[in-house]
Amino acid sequence: MLNGKAAKLLRIHLSEGDTADGRPTHEAILSTCQELGIAGATVFRGLEGYGETAEVHRNRALSRDQPIVIVVVDEAAKLMLLVPEIESLIRSGMMAMSDVQAIRVQKGSAR
Amino acid sequence: MLQKGSAKKVTLWINEETRFHHEKLWLALFEYLRHKRIAGASLTHTKMAFGDHKRVHNADAAETAEFSYRIEFVESPERVEEVLPTLYEMVVDGLIEIHDTTVIKSVNEDRTAPESLPPVERTQRKAKLMRVFLGERDQWHGEPLYDAIVKQLRMMDIAGATVYRGIMGYGSKGETHRPHLLHISEDLPIMISVIDSASKIVEAEPVVESMLEDGLIAVSDVDVLRLIRPQVASEYSNAKR
Repeated sequence: MLNGKAAKLLRIHLSEGDTADGRPTHEAILSTCQELGIAGATVFRGLEGYGETAEVHRNRALSRDQPIVIVVVDEAAKLMLLVPEIESLIRSGMMAMSDVQAIRVQKGSAR
Repeated sequence: MLQKGSAKKVTLWINEETRFHHEKLWLALFEYLRHKRIAGASLTHTKMAFGDHKRVHNADAAETAEFSYRIEFVESPERVEEVLPTLYEMVVDGLIEIHDTTVIKSVNEDRTAPESLPPVERTQRKAKLMRVFLGERDQWHGEPLYDAIVKQLRMMDIAGATVYRGIMGYGSKGETHRPHLLHISEDLPIMISVIDSASKIVEAEPVVESMLEDGLIAVSDVDVLRLIRPQVASEYSNAKR
């Protein structure tokens, strides 16, 4: 569990239109995180952005192509298991990892 | 007004017929620079030129002749840096070049107050970035917890905080979220990102922790580039009198 110790924060940047195994890539990544027992993952949708193909991602009338960022925090060892899994799911995108000090807060109904 | 000393001279080379949306690009660029209160820009059209297209633009030749335009302006490096990304976007056909230059003298007799914005102050320093993960539905004495945290941070004079809402996620409510709960839930994940000096973050972290019922706080090191544009203070006009 994460309490006050050094951990890693992984950000995965991709496009909302990306798919893996017939469903949105960010959903597939979220499921993978859960299967691996990763502490938590959050998906954010940006308004506009551009990436390696240098084309601007924004909300078009017909297709959703806004930038997506998935933020995952866990111990380094856990994330090392996750990274190759994600690599097999994404065709294009970017991953960045940084060091964080993580504090897990869980009061009341602690389990 | 331009200050004496080192500055940048920007030259834009544009063909007459190049358009930006519904107007001529050279005109759009000129208007943009005026709108941004660039110290001064001049537009000249050249008699004869050729560029990437290897077509000769000759003003004297035929009726169909295309002019080539040149827009030049001199500004402080900071101001140039500010407008350059937009110019870069706008110039779809043409050339942008920048030269280092030195302003020896820049005076304007009938100018009573400086029209241009004061220079941008820039500082770079080490800082901490704190991300707080919680749920949108979390409450704090009857108000949304993320609101309460932001208010608290403002009261503590923390430099800045931004609240993000995720579109899906799990974990902020502990290990109780199982894969079958992945479908769109009404309690969306919230992330508050807070940036300030290490000492301010150290001060803020336990306060946020005490307010948080169930969530995660992640702190990391960042380099902050801070842009400050001082308010156009009334001292300016006072000093003139």
